[in-house]
Amino acid sequence: MQLFLYLQFPSLQLDSLTSAFKPGQPLAVVDAKHHIIELNAEAAAQGIALNMSLGSAAALCHQLELVPYNPQQQQEVLQFVAQQLYQYSADIALDPPDGLYLRLNNMLSLYQGLAGYWQVLSAVLNGLAFHYHFATGLTPYAAKCLAKQQRNVLEDDPVLLNKLLQKSPLSSTELSIDLQQQLQRLGLKQLGQLLALSAAELARRFDRALLSYLGRLSGEFYHLLEYIQPEPGFSRAIELMYDIDDTAKLCTPLQSLLMQLEQQLSRANAVCHQLQLQIRFRHRPAQTLSIGSAQGEYRAAKWLRLCQLQLETVRLSEPAVGLKLHVARFFSQQSATSSLFQSSAQTMSSLQLVSLLQARLGHAAVSGLTLIDKHLPEVANQQGSPLAQRSEVCSALSQRPAFLLLQPSALTEAVEIHSGPERLCANIWQLEQQRDYFIGRNTRGQWLWLYRTAQQQWFVQGLFS
Amino acid sequence: MSGLLEQLSRRQLLWSGSSQQAAYQAVACGYAALDVQLGGGLPACGLIDIQTAQGIGELRLLLPYLQQRLSDGRLLCLITPPALPCADMLAAVGIELTQLLIINVTAGKDALWAAEQCLQSGCAASVLLWQQKLTLTQARRLQLAAEQQQATLLLLRRPSAGLNLPVTLSLELSAHPQGLMVQVHKRKGGWPRAAFFVDMRQRWPLLCVTSANTSDIQRKAG
Repeated sequence: MQLFLYLQFPSLQLDSLTSAFKPGQPLAVVDAKHHIIELNAEAAAQGIALNMSLGSAAALCHQLELVPYNPQQQQEVLQFVAQQLYQYSADIALDPPDGLYLRLNNMLSLYQGLAGYWQVLSAVLNGLAFHYHFATGLTPYAAKCLAKQQRNVLEDDPVLLNKLLQKSPLSSTELSIDLQQQLQRLGLKQLGQLLALSAAELARRFDRALLSYLGRLSGEFYHLLEYIQPEPGFSRAIELMYDIDDTAKLCTPLQSLLMQLEQQLSRANAVCHQLQLQIRFRHRPAQTLSIGSAQGEYRAAKWLRLCQLQLETVRLSEPAVGLKLHVARFFSQQSATSSLFQSSAQTMSSLQLVSLLQARLGHAAVSGLTLIDKHLPEVANQQGSPLAQRSEVCSALSQRPAFLLLQPSALTEAVEIHSGPERLCANIWQLEQQRDYFIGRNTRGQWLWLYRTAQQQWFVQGLFS
Repeated sequence: MSGLLEQLSRRQLLWSGSSQQAAYQAVACGYAALDVQLGGGLPACGLIDIQTAQGIGELRLLLPYLQQRLSDGRLLCLITPPALPCADMLAAVGIELTQLLIINVTAGKDALWAAEQCLQSGCAASVLLWQQKLTLTQARRLQLAAEQQQATLLLLRRPSAGLNLPVTLSLELSAHPQGLMVQVHKRKGGWPRAAFFVDMRQRWPLLCVTSANTSDIQRKAG
């Protein structure tokens, strides 16, 4: 015997926004056809009902705050709920726009019965602050049918579940409105009456949709559900309740996103190295910042600091209306070892310091220095990524200056030559590009690294410091 | 009078010699003359203010000290160096390039911020900062950060008669054919002395003027 639980969220989009509105405000979500499709308790108290037209609703309550229906956002919220429940229940299938199927068979033995399972699941659901209705059923459609009547039944007794199903009105089924009216004209008002009829009879009068539905409802036909897989990374967006043009103020909504990320990371015992923070605007395309931590971090407070530093340098072209945090990959956590007897207390590791500096100053501002086995100084000295380990070990050349000028400048003053020449020629076939290097001292006592080209021109390339 | 003294010492503008002697931990810096004059060497932590022209040998004076400070695996940070530091030269004196961090910023404010972060993190053994202006409060902040984490901040700037900053050591360097002339302006727990000569002929024979290596090649260009 199979057992399914259906969770229906009557006001998913509204609940995800409610925290931003002041309490006691009547709220409703309207679809493109100007019908109310979600509403809160305050709006219902004013006499507003589902499927009411916008005009009637506005006439009943003039303070009604309206939110346009956003299917994409609804889907994201539903996905989020499913991901949260996935920690406790294995088989979850989405039923857009507002439902979830949960298969219970495997889970009941884990939680030792329906009561134990529900105790855990309801605790999670209540923590999420979404309104919900639920019902169990022997098939997915049976559970959905009961949940739609807002029965909130939690039973695994097949006889009782069947009895409830038999009494269900046709309006709670998945049948089209036309079909329901057709059946009603025949005097069929409850599912029980419909199920009592023989399939052959029905097949003659009605199309295949009815038979297929009834087959799946009773469990004769196989109902394929696509169970969700946990996402590899983290992706979550929030809508801001009012436009924000000050980047410092963005930190408050960002913190809630980072806290969710921290929860997910600590559950997986993982860290992430890179965050993609997308700031959404009303008109312009979204702006994406990538915030990196070379060491890998899971704590929200550390990430928030890095984000703050990066946000300080960002100028918003338009007030922001939404934020999205995206992490493509998680990495397993590796603990760093530190010296036990070091006198000074390191507050962070070198990699963390690099991330911190890069967050505020930009990636290019922080660099390391690598030595490459070449003779020409401008090729041998490369500014590379900071703290990178050397792959090849090459010996350093002696008599080199402390600083190299990126662009050699022509020699314009009197110098005393003290040593040299040292002839460098990069390629044997380019003899005209050879340089003779000298060490010279000018009248101010500065030690310069000079070279003479084959054309007898003198340049300063370095400064002994 | 005593009220004034108390006020000055509370603002850390006044040092009493007796209490500071212990606070000055010296690290031998590789030049005998300097070690003698500074009572053992350059300070192990704190803010060192060095007023110098560029290219006269100021870094050569500090290199043995900087190299020695890297032995505990901490970093050497160069903030806004005047040009690209040369890896050959640093590697030749034994500085591990993987312990080197170069920070190039245009704004002076960012450079100071970076210096403070490097010091506060405890990852840096020494931080070299090329910056001209430093206010009293900024110097104090950097000094505190450096002392807290047993790090050194070396401030390299052109000679200027400015405010007397609260630093651990203040030096003025000037060019000399065989090395450097060093004038100690201020030292915690010590008295300023007359300018003295630091001989570099042994460590850097090629960068000293001697009768032997002064060749006859002389040139005036431009």
